[in-house]
This record gives sequence, structure tokens and C-alpha cells, in this order.
Amino acid sequence: MNAIEIKNLKKSYGKTLAVKGISFNIRKNEILGLLGPNGAGKTTIIKILAGVLTKDSGKIKILGKDPDKEKEFVANRMNVASPDSELTGIMTVYQNLKVYGKLYGVKNIKERIDYLLDLFEIKDLKHQKLKHLSKGQSTRVLLCKGIINNPEVLLLDECTLGLDPHIAYKTRKIIKELNATILFTSHNMHEVEWLCDRIAFMDKGKILKIGTVSSLKKLIKTEKVKMKFDKSEGLANFFKKLDIKILSLKGDTVVFEIDYKKHKLQDLIEKITKQGFKINDIIIKKASLEDIFIKVAKREL
Amino acid sequence: MKFYRVNALLYKYLKISTNRLERIFDIVYWPVIDLFIWGFVLRYINKLGAVHGSFNFIFGGIILWVFCWRAQQDIAVYVLEDFWSRSLYNLFASPLKLSELVVSLFIFSLMRSILTFGFLFLIAFVLFSFNIFTINLTALALFVLALLLIGWVMGIFISGVIFRYGMQVQIFAWSVAWLIQPFSCVFYPLSSLPGWAQKVAVWLPTTHVFEGLRQVINTGIINWNGLAYAYISSLVLLVLSCLFFKRCVEKAKKLNLLTSHE
Ligand SMILES: Nc1ncnc2c1ncn2[C@@H]1O[C@H](COP(=O)(O)OP(=O)(O)O)[C@@H](O)[C@H]1O
Ligand SMILES: [Mg+2]
Repeated sequence: MNAIEIKNLKKSYGKTLAVKGISFNIRKNEILGLLGPNGAGKTTIIKILAGVLTKDSGKIKILGKDPDKEKEFVANRMNVASPDSELTGIMTVYQNLKVYGKLYGVKNIKERIDYLLDLFEIKDLKHQKLKHLSKGQSTRVLLCKGIINNPEVLLLDECTLGLDPHIAYKTRKIIKELNATILFTSHNMHEVEWLCDRIAFMDKGKILKIGTVSSLKKLIKTEKVKMKFDKSEGLANFFKKLDIKILSLKGDTVVFEIDYKKHKLQDLIEKITKQGFKINDIIIKKASLEDIFIKVAKREL
Repeated sequence: MKFYRVNALLYKYLKISTNRLERIFDIVYWPVIDLFIWGFVLRYINKLGAVHGSFNFIFGGIILWVFCWRAQQDIAVYVLEDFWSRSLYNLFASPLKLSELVVSLFIFSLMRSILTFGFLFLIAFVLFSFNIFTINLTALALFVLALLLIGWVMGIFISGVIFRYGMQVQIFAWSVAWLIQPFSCVFYPLSSLPGWAQKVAVWLPTTHVFEGLRQVINTGIINWNGLAYAYISSLVLLVLSCLFFKRCVEKAKKLNLLTSHE
């Protein structure tokens, strides 16, 4: 069952076409990562889903309902955390969270707030005014707000920005353990790879690729290989003859890109030893999400 | 409409008020200064031997004007508070309905108006021995409600303008009520205005409230026609201003004004 369905969504700001007819679904309790360069249109999509921005055209269903027609039903079961949003600076952390607890009709607000503050390790900030917190601290308060109603659908727009590594790790773990359908954007590839069930790459208002991390990785048919030999003379020539692209050659160490459409690593190694070279060390660097990202952005995939 | 969401906003407005000195100043500072200035001026005029009795409707005018003024300004300023804190994104992503926002603004501005009214009543009573409750209480209650409605009309209207045009128009939050005050005949009768000004003033619901106030103080008679005009016109305007507000918010959502902060 799909928790979020988006069909041919379009949005422009004046003359800027920010989202150019996007369609995708998110299954119930799935975490979908939205990746893309700055200005790709990720935030625009999140704002439209959150109900703070009106789409130009297209169809959206959240939990099976049209959010424009059944705003209350949808909004009660959804929440959002984004650094674009803030809470009231002159009020304390507790007061702010209480306001949203009440707005979302949360039962036992006090206990819920204490639990959340404890979870994000900001219990000691409970009675501090929000304007006195650091960026990372207020981001944690925003995250508390984002899950205060135990949302079934959660929109997270660069919500780990500015968190220290320990809290960022903890936040990822918290997010992963939530029983929620999550749309997640971030520029941290490792985070996205670790957290998300599926990933959608977008650029200039369009989705270029969508799939699981491993299915996307399969799209890349090349790997980087680093080999260390017992001698250096003749290496450059030898690789040239084999039609293999050398990325760097320093003394007895060669880094090259192997294209599996043309070569098999096994055959290559045989050829190398036949030629009288001895391989002392070999490192194969698998394609990372970052490599995919760059290739997709360059339209090489 | 869910009362627990209205309650959430009332709680927020209360905490903003107690955490921000200006919001406490609003309630007391300017209204009390206004009262002192008029009080001293009247004392002086009285010594010069002016007609007695003018005292009462001027004091009555100052104190009742507060409902119009506070209601307008509070609605606009508490809407601005959410702009200043950039919390509109979170607010509008929540289940809150526009009607609940408007109702909580109505209720909160009413509570603050009553507080200011209380202060002014006390000062006028203690220092200038003017007791507003000597006026016919039915009439007084009707005047207060009519002025509140007009204050809400102006407050909601200007809030709509703020949603549409952002904080560059925030000065109107403090000044709209004052724009209509000279034409509302708060301190002087309609007949004392120059001809062109009368033509404007006679349309304002506020004029009919203050004319009615003077009549009740002078003769004890309630001018029901004037009151009916004030109520009908301000209720119509209230509906119109709420529709205008709704349209402005919808437009702001289209233009991404709720979440982009200039
Ligand atoms: N308020 C706005 N007015 C005009 N253009 C905007 C506005 N907000 C975003 N844009 C443009 O829309 C495009 C998508 O922006 P955004 O959704 O914020 O991208 P992302 O979150 O992927 O970085 C960008 O080209 C950006 O410049
Ligand atoms: Mg963004």
C-alpha cells in the first residue's frame, strides 16, 4: 500500500519552473531519500506535501486522501521538520513543544515532551528560551516537534544539518526506528545510503532515477582499481595497449577505471601476470552513492 | 473547529505576552498616557470655565475607544509575532484551521482589551472620579461589543494585507485604528465636523457608537437606529474581512510567502 502518491506534480515560482511534472509513490513505512543538487526542487516538493505551498497542478494522495480536501485528517497524522521553519524564539523549549502538542491533540503532553527531550539529549534545555540555543540544539527541538504526534508520515528536509556527529548518528537511528513513512532529503550520502530504503535522484525539477541503493549501484558498470606492482617500467605502455583508462600512475602504483562491459578483472589479472608483472597489492573501490550522484548529475547514467 | 487547537494558540499568545515586555506595555502604557493627557487637558479647560458635562463623554470616549484600538492592534501584532519568529511553516503544516486561528485572535484580543479597559476604569475612577458604569449598562455592553467587532474587522483586514505583502507593511498593524479615529467622532459630535468630513464620518460604524454614547450620557435614551446601523455594517464588514483574509492566505501559499522570510 502506498502512503504517499504523487502524480505529475508541477510548481513554478514566477518564471522559475521548480518542479516539472514529477510522479512517484512511497510505500507505507518506507523511507525514501530525495537526492539532488541545490535548487533541484526537493524543498519545493516537501513544502507542497506539508501543505504550506500550493501546487500548480498534479495529484497528491497522502494516506489515501487528498490533503487539500481532508487537511485535518492528513495533518493530524503527518509532521515535518525543516531548517526553513522555526519555532517561537522568545518562548522556552517546553512552551513551544506544548503548543504543538496541543495543536496535534497529543495525549499526556508533559510525558511525551519529557520523553522526546530525553531522546534527543536536550533535557537540560527544557526551560531555556529557544533564541538562546545554538543551531544544532534548535534543530533537535525541531525534530522533537516533528515527531511529537507519532506521525504516520514524516517529511524531513535536511533535518540533520548542523548536528554534531554523535547526535547526527543518534538521530538517524531514531528516524530508522520510527514506524513511519518518511520522505528524507540530505546532502550526506552516507546518511542517505544507510537510512533510506529507496532513493530518488532529482535535478532541475525532474526525477532522473529512482530505486534501491543496490539497484542504483548496478547501473554503474565501472569500478576504480588501485594496483601496486613490483616494478614501474613499462606499466604505462602496457595499460595503453589494453585500452584501459589510467586515472593516476605514481611509480609502481596505478589507479585505473575498469569498465566491466569491456573487461573482466579475472582476465586482466591473467594478462598482467603473463606479461611478467607481479601484483603486490590490489584495492577495488566499489561505486559509492556519491559516484552515482555525480554521474546522474552529469547525465552519464 | 476544535477548541483544543484554539486553546493551543491562546496558550502561545499568553506565553508570548509574558515573555515580551512590549506586549505588556501595549496593554497599559499608551492607553494610560492617553487618559492622563486628556484628563489634565479637561481639568484645565474646566478651570477656564467651559461647559460642565463634556468631561463624561470624553472620558467615556477614551475608555471605549480602547476596544476598537486594542482589538485591531492585537490581532495584527500577534499575527506579526508569527512572521517575526518564522514559525508560519510549522503552524500551517499543523492541523490548525484558518477559522481556529481567527477565533483565537478574536478571543485573545478581547481578553487584552478587557485588561486595558480595567486599568483605564480604575485610573479614571480614582484620579478623575469618573465612573463609566454610571452609563446605562445595556447601552454600554452594546457599545463595547460593536467597537470590538469593528476592531476585529480592521485587525483581520490588516492581517490579510500582512500575509499578502509581508512585513514591509507592518507599520499598519499599529496605525490603522488611528486612521479612522478622527472621523469616528470619539470626542466631539458629528455636527462639529466640517462638511466633507461629516460625509465620510457618517458611514463609519464607530461614529454611530460614539454618537450613541453621547446621547445616552446626555439624555439616557438609547439610539437604536444608530446601533442597528453600527451592528449591521460591522457584521457585514467582518464577513468581508474574513473572506479577504482567507484569500490573502491562499495567495501567500501560492507565492511561497509563508516559508520564505524577507
Ligand atoms: N520563493 C522562491 N521564489 C523564486 N524561486 C524559488 C523560490 N524558492 C525556490 N525557488 C527556486 O526553485 C528551485 C527549486 O528550489 P528548492 O525546491 O528549494 O530546491 P532544493 O531544496 O532541491 O535545493 C530553485 O531553482 C530555486 O531557485
Ligand atoms: Mg532544499
